[in-house]
Amino acid sequence: MMKKALLAVVVSFLGLVVFSGFSLAGEPTYIVASDISWPPFEWVDEQGNYVGFDLDVMREIAKLEGYKIKIVDVAFDSIIPGIIAGKYDIGASGFTITAKRDEVVDFSKPYWSSDQAVLIRRDSGLNIVTALSQGRTVGAQRGTTGAAWIKENLIEKGVNVKLKLYETYPLAVLDLVNRNIDAVIQDEPASRASVAKEKSIQIAGIIVTGEQFGFLVKEGDPKGILPKINEGMAKLKASGKWDELVAKYFGK
Amino acid sequence: MSIIDKVILIWTSLPPLARGALVTLELTILLLGMGLVVGIFLALGQVYGSYPVSLFITCYERFFRSIPALVLLFLFFFGSSYFGFSLSPFLSAVLALGFRSSAYQSQIFRGAIQSIDEGQMMAARTLGMSKFQAIWNIILPQAFRLAIPPWSNEYSSVLKDTSLAYAVGVIELVREGRYIIVRTFEPMLIYIIVAIIYFFFTYAGNFILGFIEGKIAVPGYERKLGRRMGGSVER
Repeated sequence: MMKKALLAVVVSFLGLVVFSGFSLAGEPTYIVASDISWPPFEWVDEQGNYVGFDLDVMREIAKLEGYKIKIVDVAFDSIIPGIIAGKYDIGASGFTITAKRDEVVDFSKPYWSSDQAVLIRRDSGLNIVTALSQGRTVGAQRGTTGAAWIKENLIEKGVNVKLKLYETYPLAVLDLVNRNIDAVIQDEPASRASVAKEKSIQIAGIIVTGEQFGFLVKEGDPKGILPKINEGMAKLKASGKWDELVAKYFGK
Repeated sequence: MSIIDKVILIWTSLPPLARGALVTLELTILLLGMGLVVGIFLALGQVYGSYPVSLFITCYERFFRSIPALVLLFLFFFGSSYFGFSLSPFLSAVLALGFRSSAYQSQIFRGAIQSIDEGQMMAARTLGMSKFQAIWNIILPQAFRLAIPPWSNEYSSVLKDTSLAYAVGVIELVREGRYIIVRTFEPMLIYIIVAIIYFFFTYAGNFILGFIEGKIAVPGYERKLGRRMGGSVER
C-alpha cells in the first residue's frame, strides 16, 4: 500500500510540474511591478483590489495607448533587479528619479514631485531640527530616497544620527509609535496618509528635496514603452482625467 | 479602536488571510512532495550508489544546505531570466525551496536507511532478490517508519520558510496580512491571527503524521512510537 502511495506521489508531482507551467513569454501584455503597500500611491483595498494613484494612472494610460497591463506585487527592493532581468516591463511604485537609478533603467517624464516629511510623536517635544540632530535614531524604508537623504546629508557630513532601515514604511511608523525610534523620514504624500491614520504622530516639517517620481522601464527601452507612457500622461493631463485622479487620491 | 471595530476587522480580514493561507499550504505541499521524491533518490544514491554517484550527491546536498533560502529564491527567480526562460514567482519558489528541502530530506532518509541492519540486505540478496527488490520490499518500508518523526520536523520548518517567497512576488499568508496592516495600521492584531493560522497548520500536519506513524507501526515491534501526540497505537 505504501509503495502505491509513493508511486502516486511521484506521478502526481511530475504532473504538477508539467502543468503548473512556465510563464508565457512574448504576450502583448506589459507587466507592471509595484510594491503595493504604500498608500496613497498603491495599496490593496478591502475587496482585495490593487488601488492607488500609480496603478490608476497605469491603467488609464494603457487604455489610451491600446495595450494591456498586468499588475504584480513585488518587494520594492526587487523591482529594479526584476526590470533589469526582464521579469517586468514597467516599474510603477513611486520611484524617485535619481542619477544612480537612471544608470541602470530608463525613466518616463516625471509625473509627481514630492518632498520628504519628517514624522515625530506628538508628545516627544521634538522639532524638525532636534529630531535630526546628534544621537537621534531615524527610521526609513530600505532603498528609498528618504534613507539616502539621511545618509548623504547627515551621516556622511559627520552628524551622528542612527539610520534604522525597515522592510516597509508602515513598520517604521509602527516603531516610531512604539517609541523605539525618534523620527521617520518619508515622502510627503505617504506621510500625510500615515498621520491621518495614526493620531499619536505628526509631521514635524518638510525637507524640500523637490524630487520627482517617474515610471521606469528597462535600460534602452527595448519594447518602446516609454513614448507610450509619456504620450498617455500628456493626454490624461489634457483631458482633465489627471486632475480627477489627483483629487481622488490626494484630496487636493 | 473599539472592541466592535476589532471584531469587524478580524471578520473582514479572514477571507484574504484564508486566501493567503491556501497559497502557503499549496506551496508547502508542492515543495515537500518534490523534496520527498528527489530526497529519497538522493538518499538511496548516497547509500547504495557507486563512489562517483555518492560523491556527486554529497556535493549537491552540501550546496543546497549551505545557501540561505532567500538567496536561493533570488537565484532561481532572477537567475532563470539570464538563461533565457522565465520562471513564474510561484514555480521558482517551489523549485528553490523544493531542491533545498530535498537536500535536507535526503539526510533524513539516509539516516533511516542506514539504521536498518545491513544483515537484512544480505539476507534478501541470499534469498535471490535483486538489489532493487531488496530496497523496495525490505529496506524502504522500514526506513519510512523511522523517517516520519524527523520528517515532521522538516514539514514544520518548511511551512514557515514559505513566507520568504514574498520576496519574489508570491502573495502568501504573511503578505496578505501586510496588505491589511498597511490599510488599517493594526499590526499586532493581524500578526496574531497569522500566527494562529501557522500554529494550526503545524499542529494539524503533525497530528496527521502522528496518525500515519501509528497506523503503519508494526504491532509489538515499535511500541515506543505510539507515545506521541496524534499517535494511534495505544488507541
